[in-house]
Amino acid sequence: MRHYFSDAPKTALQASYWVFVIYLLLPLTLMMAMSFKDANFIAFPIGDWTLGWYAKVVQDKQFLEASGYSIFIALMTTIFATIMGVWIALLISAEGIWGRAAIFAFACLPAVVPGLINAISMRIFIRVLDIPTGTGAIILGHTVHAVPFVVIMVLTRLRSMPNNLIDAARDLGADSFIAFIRITIPFLAPALVGGMIFCVLTSIDDFVRTFFLGGYQPTLPMLIFAKVQGGMSPEINAMATLVLIVTAAVGLYAEHFTRRSRT
Amino acid sequence: MVDSSMTETRASAPRAGPAYAGWIGKVTASGLYSATIGLVANSARAKLVLLLAVPLAWIVLLHVGPIYQMARISFLDNYPPAAEGPIHTLGNYRLFFQEPLYFLPFVRSLIFAAVVTVAALVVTYPVAYYVAKIIKPQNRTRALLLLLIPFWAGELIRTFSVIMLLANRGAVNVLLREIGFIDRPIPLLYNYFSLSFGVIYLLALYMLLPLYSAIEKIPPQLIDAAADLGAGPFQRFRRVILPLSKDGIVSGCSLVYLTSIGVFAAPLLLGGPNSVIFPEIIASLFHGSSDKWPEGAAFSILMLAVSLSTVGLFMRVAGGRSVRLM
Amino acid sequence: MQPVVQFRNVNKYYGSSVAVDNLDLSIEPGQFVTLLGPSGCGKSTTLRMLGGFETPTSGEIYLDGKEISRLPPNKRNVNIVFQDYALFPHLSVRRNVAFGLELKGLASETIHKRTMELLSLVRLQEFADRMPAQLSGGQRQRVALMRALAPNPNVLLLDEPLSALDAKLRQQMQVELKSIQQTTGKTFIFVTHDQEEALTMSDVIVVMNSGRIEQMGDPHTLYSRPRSRFVANFIGESNFIEGTLKGTKGGLAAIEWNGSIVHAGLNGHDLQIGSRVAVALRPEAVSVFASKPVEKLAFEGRITQRLFKGDHTSLTIELPNGQAIVAQLDPVALSQITDDRVWIGWREEDAVALAD
Repeated sequence: MRHYFSDAPKTALQASYWVFVIYLLLPLTLMMAMSFKDANFIAFPIGDWTLGWYAKVVQDKQFLEASGYSIFIALMTTIFATIMGVWIALLISAEGIWGRAAIFAFACLPAVVPGLINAISMRIFIRVLDIPTGTGAIILGHTVHAVPFVVIMVLTRLRSMPNNLIDAARDLGADSFIAFIRITIPFLAPALVGGMIFCVLTSIDDFVRTFFLGGYQPTLPMLIFAKVQGGMSPEINAMATLVLIVTAAVGLYAEHFTRRSRT
Repeated sequence: MVDSSMTETRASAPRAGPAYAGWIGKVTASGLYSATIGLVANSARAKLVLLLAVPLAWIVLLHVGPIYQMARISFLDNYPPAAEGPIHTLGNYRLFFQEPLYFLPFVRSLIFAAVVTVAALVVTYPVAYYVAKIIKPQNRTRALLLLLIPFWAGELIRTFSVIMLLANRGAVNVLLREIGFIDRPIPLLYNYFSLSFGVIYLLALYMLLPLYSAIEKIPPQLIDAAADLGAGPFQRFRRVILPLSKDGIVSGCSLVYLTSIGVFAAPLLLGGPNSVIFPEIIASLFHGSSDKWPEGAAFSILMLAVSLSTVGLFMRVAGGRSVRLM
Repeated sequence: MQPVVQFRNVNKYYGSSVAVDNLDLSIEPGQFVTLLGPSGCGKSTTLRMLGGFETPTSGEIYLDGKEISRLPPNKRNVNIVFQDYALFPHLSVRRNVAFGLELKGLASETIHKRTMELLSLVRLQEFADRMPAQLSGGQRQRVALMRALAPNPNVLLLDEPLSALDAKLRQQMQVELKSIQQTTGKTFIFVTHDQEEALTMSDVIVVMNSGRIEQMGDPHTLYSRPRSRFVANFIGESNFIEGTLKGTKGGLAAIEWNGSIVHAGLNGHDLQIGSRVAVALRPEAVSVFASKPVEKLAFEGRITQRLFKGDHTSLTIELPNGQAIVAQLDPVALSQITDDRVWIGWREEDAVALAD
């Protein structure tokens, strides 16, 4: 804190921070509060409180199936995106490869293209290749979207890897494969965990790609979307709150993990 | 993995390899493994091909392929093409410029994205500055975490939560009525206001994080030096802090602009009949039967081209050298 | 003459730790003053309080007779050269130097003229349109200096500005700084932990330790007449021998040490007879003899280490009582010493008696 700032601008900045925090947290807080409303419709004031919606949601077969489906897709996406992301990052970081900048640019393309266009182009693409919409298409779409982020995270980490680590391992008798498994992969671990959690969260969150690529089985966001369009009741709030708590816990863990490994 | 020395010979010489326990040991003990390693290690070319082939195929097929297919279809008069073969046409593009029903929402979308971007910049800059420079370093992580929490909720949940705030019987209207400020609810929802409120709510982090990391990197001595040379708070901001956070501003604006141009869930849930923006138009062309696909593809290509070139132009004019995606 | 800078009872605390402890300091105009001390001694805090980057916890600071203790930096007529220069990376050399002038609202021709004048003073006219990143360390240093001089401050503050340079360049810059100070006639307040730098450039050195002034004076006095063990040790090297004060006579102290009475300059110190005292002895003041001198007091010892330093050699001589004495010998004196068994002695006036 620099003392010679007069207090007025500092107070104004502090106020802007707290107003912004309220702006970010208020809608979610209201959304969670509404999940306890003892009525069939969404409206303030809440009046009577109940846990009934949660009891209903955790027994709701549709919700449970959608959760399982979303998690399955997220895990598949994470596996494929991590493998491809690391592979591409290794390629870009390798010496003596021509056109690395171009490879990097194209590797990042799906992250730069607006989401809707990404989804639509993938929809056209699977149709051209005669791939049916549904689970496979969703996983493909999510993976393509997630790969650039894994590439960037892994590359950032690789850049901070001392050059001589691999040389040292080779000098001590490891061949390329052992050096990779024993040195490179452990060194990349924080970036990998961060990247994987990012993949899981973006996949579970994704709406637009699933909207265009999905079949009849709804993922969590699709289910919530259908319920919102079909007439709102606090049941949606209970569902959303449960999803929010789980994803926030995962996110918080990721944050904690990457921060700890950084120090 | 890739050794820069292209004259690798050591692995081919017979030697007592180290014995590893567990699965690594099993793998490395197998004959197939030593054959593969021998081949790969002895030939720089084999090594390169192994490293190159799969990721290059992935990028060409799945990163570039869909865009290419979309571009290809945008020049067809019909999809799937008629039995006697595809007919190529520019009609889909011509239609866009002839039909105000398409053209106007497109312009609206561009303006909307620009407004949202500027608003997000103005709203988050003081917040980013506060966290990066005024908060004590030991409290900084906690202050940032508080801002990150909402972004772990998905796009749809956050959009939905905005309804809680803005609906006719949402928190704002109910509160205003309770204190007797209004008799009838103000229509806050299903218009441009709710749409921009929601989109800024969704995307503020993409602005905040690049800004924060740019401002945080400004050495405090530079601010001291400016003050020492006679700059008051405003001049310090204008002459030192603002130009030195330019990279963050460029990254943040590019990210928010590109993302807000393609928002999809927010207009569906928060937009109304008067706030139709281009993504909804494009999406509608892909509903149901596919006879409008070429038009949709053409419009998508236009949107992609315009948004990427706007950002490219912006980055060139603003002179940001590197744009970080994260 | 009215002092240009004055600290009166200035204290600075960070929480419960004391950075500057009841500082009283007056600086005459036109002098090159160095604040010298180890890191954490309060010298930088003192400088930053004068620049306006820290506010004293209590006490007042005066600049040209006006109280400025609580003015922000942009309202003070002092400028600072930062340790790492703090050049604005987004501005050219010219714009960096012009920064303070632009804020004064001067006409652009005036700014241009003055900027180029200053840059020519340090032979950097051709570099006016370069960016700071394109300059060498020494060039950056000179730009930072000119940027701070541009607004024509009463007092120029320099916060260890040479510490980032290599040894050769640092010596050049010492000469250059001193000559710029003399041509401009401004008061320079220079902070460093490097005693050699302080001795080379300063008119006045203020030695600080634990937030207090240990001693203040011209370099020669500080070197030859230190007032405390800390100063004797911090400026140059010293041997210390500890004994009991037996008596004083004519500015000389008689001290019992190693079974003999040795004499040392009293240096105006008020020392209690019978108390423990330390005698500081510079290595170059120690004479080394190959055989026991007849007319002089000398002590026998053995050479345990010889360090060749180029123009001189440093000998460590261990006395029978275990005390090690370092002596500095030029090549001529060294050629006399053939055996490890030697005798050492010194002139009484070269030794200084200090409170232990």
